[in-house]
Amino acid sequence: MRELGTDAENTWCPGCGNFGILRAVKKAAGLLDASAFDLDTLVMSSGIGCHGKIFDYLDLSGVYSLHGRAIATVTGMKMANPLLHPLAFVGDGDAYGEGLAHLLFAAKRNMDITVLVHDNGVYGLTTGQFTPTTERGVTTRSSPHGNVEEPFNPLLLMLDAGASFVARGYPGKLDHLADLIARAIEHVGFSFIDVLQPCVTFHDTYEEYNRRVEVLDATLNMAGARELALQHDALHIGVFYHETAVPYHERLLGDFNPVEDAPSRDERLAAVEDLSR
Amino acid sequence: MSQVFTFLVGGKAGQGVRSAGSTAASVFNDMGRAVFQMDDYPSLIRGGHNFSVVSTSPAEISSHYLEAQLVVALDQRSYDRHNGHLDDDGVMVHDADVDGDGVSLPITEKAEEYERPDLISGVASIASLCAAIGMTPARLETVVRRAYSSHVEDNLSYAMAIYEAADDEIGGRFSLETGDHRGGALLTGNQAIALGAASAGLNNYFAYPMTPATSILHFLAGHARDLGIAVMQPENEIAAANMAIGAAFAGSRVMVASSGGGYALMEEAFSMAGMVEAPVLFVLSMRPGPSTGVPTYTGQGDLDMALHQGHGEFPRIVASPGGIGEAFSLAGELLSMVWRFQTPGVLLTEKHCSESAMNVSLDPGAVPWAEPEMHPGGGYGRYRLTDTGVSPLLFPPSGQTVKWNSYECDENGITTEDADTIAVMHDKRQRKQQALREHLRDMATVNVHGDAGPVIATYGSTTLSVLEALRHGGLDARVVQPVYLEPFPSWELDGYDDVVVVEQSAAGSFEQLLREKTGVSVAAHVRRYDGRPFAPAALAAELEGVLP
Repeated sequence: MRELGTDAENTWCPGCGNFGILRAVKKAAGLLDASAFDLDTLVMSSGIGCHGKIFDYLDLSGVYSLHGRAIATVTGMKMANPLLHPLAFVGDGDAYGEGLAHLLFAAKRNMDITVLVHDNGVYGLTTGQFTPTTERGVTTRSSPHGNVEEPFNPLLLMLDAGASFVARGYPGKLDHLADLIARAIEHVGFSFIDVLQPCVTFHDTYEEYNRRVEVLDATLNMAGARELALQHDALHIGVFYHETAVPYHERLLGDFNPVEDAPSRDERLAAVEDLSR
Repeated sequence: MSQVFTFLVGGKAGQGVRSAGSTAASVFNDMGRAVFQMDDYPSLIRGGHNFSVVSTSPAEISSHYLEAQLVVALDQRSYDRHNGHLDDDGVMVHDADVDGDGVSLPITEKAEEYERPDLISGVASIASLCAAIGMTPARLETVVRRAYSSHVEDNLSYAMAIYEAADDEIGGRFSLETGDHRGGALLTGNQAIALGAASAGLNNYFAYPMTPATSILHFLAGHARDLGIAVMQPENEIAAANMAIGAAFAGSRVMVASSGGGYALMEEAFSMAGMVEAPVLFVLSMRPGPSTGVPTYTGQGDLDMALHQGHGEFPRIVASPGGIGEAFSLAGELLSMVWRFQTPGVLLTEKHCSESAMNVSLDPGAVPWAEPEMHPGGGYGRYRLTDTGVSPLLFPPSGQTVKWNSYECDENGITTEDADTIAVMHDKRQRKQQALREHLRDMATVNVHGDAGPVIATYGSTTLSVLEALRHGGLDARVVQPVYLEPFPSWELDGYDDVVVVEQSAAGSFEQLLREKTGVSVAAHVRRYDGRPFAPAALAAELEGVLP
């Protein structure tokens, strides 16, 4: 298997939770490679924010997209060439704020992509503002008297939107996270992993997560998944819910691949002639 | 003028006015006559007032006329509105319930004998038309069977009843000679755009509905399987434009379309397409703005937006077709151009082109197939520096790493803040702009219609109105129509003076562009900005007053 690192200088803060995510992705790629998965079909996109820098650190083909738009970008990749396995790295401000519609609709459609949210509850790259997942009362530079909004519950949001694979991971449990990522990529349909990511500079949650995180070892149905997603004391990591469902591109296109099965010029011109009579 | 015959049908939305217009257009098309159909409809689904006007001539025609030979008014409002639009020898046919002069036919009364009286009444206008132009009942049956194939027996029996009543009053009133336009396809501008892009190899189309661009979505969705194109309606225009970039990354020839508001939502992605060097064709079909404006009417108020949208400096291609045939060829040409130069392109058009129909001859074989310059082998860098600024492409899965980056980046697509690299990459994009300009110099970028007389400058489908006004008024003028608007072909516009500029903009954005980019002197301008396309007779009179 080829190395997935690049020569780009890593500029995450020392101790950043993103390092664990990066290691877990590389490890997941190793697991996939060992299971005869063609890593050349794994393509990526990322939004804008600290998480997005992973684009430069992973030797994978892809598009460094806009803030909030990586899910739309990878949807386009999948709809052009369904042989590709797109993986979108997004932030919590990115996916739950700026680009929420794209996330909800990708889940609703069962778009065959994987979305990995670097959920640190803070805008890091813009130096510390509250995000859609910041707890109420948290003081940030844009909420100096405490955040007055209730946070989203990402897992509930995704369960309600119709996601067919919903998971939560934690880079402090590296092998567990690597396994989740590999399973999410292999899942046929929309897969979602909310990754609890400590931000050592603006929202350091290592101690809290190390205390509260519990590995989930049961298989849950929808009701069980919802119940566990609502729990406040323990933060469970693992696959909350998964089901088998036909992905969007198959429902729309059958087995037609717009790029690989594109008609020849002669075939296309004949079709145009037919339609313009 | 005597050669032109105009049929106008008016009624409430839901009475089949637009399909009656299309059916009339196909009747004239079958006679080998040139046809122009314009639909005028408000932004509502039931009620209100719709009309469809179809003008036809055995020779050329490029506009509808409002002075009709035959008006069929399905309701009182249509009668009141269009009674003044009758030509001197014109005939007004109206429903018996309408209070007014003219030929009264039992349109509503007979329709009530059938299950769907509202939907069926448009057929009465076709029966009236067929009687008025002396067509046989057998021919009418053929027309109805082809155009109204659902509930066909009801439609046929209703049509025959109206035909008999109309035949007594106006049978054979007009005799229309056949023409030599046989074989032409009867298409709207939006259908032409879809077919043109298809002829250049379109693979994916993403669009959120917005009038007047929506019918491209309808047409491509309806024919996706015939053409082998994937058509997706995403959650909004932002998604459409970003999906298009993702699709292009995967090697797809891709197009998106909207009107001003939706196109504005694509602005961030438009700039990104410039940065990542994504070949994406954007269609912007204008309606009157600002903001929601007047959704189902026409205008040319978004020229500046097309020319300048998107933050940062990057090459773009903007061009506007001067008619429906050109909408076909230009859509294909632009899709090929964006692939050649790997930068976003804009096909700028208007409701008047998008939704009007003409019979045009298409030559799909002449449309250039969009072909990327592929990486010849060896180590790959997405943004490899070249003389033209265009870097070869490679699509995953390829065994190599292909990185497209919305940040400034190095030749391999890795993000940079290095001062030298930033400048080098700007230079690369500027070289591409220069190469694009050089390429345009070898292409036909400006149409000149006519070879003598004073000069009229116009663009887009306003060209159609101007040409018909000149024919109607018997006026001599040269019509200069830049098809490409960015890069602007200034080199083609030397030596024109005392130009009259005609456009559908209140601020005169096209005139400003001409003044900025060329040395031409402007003698006068004619502008219309009430949402309606120019009418040939009125425009001819205005031009006569201002042409030097």
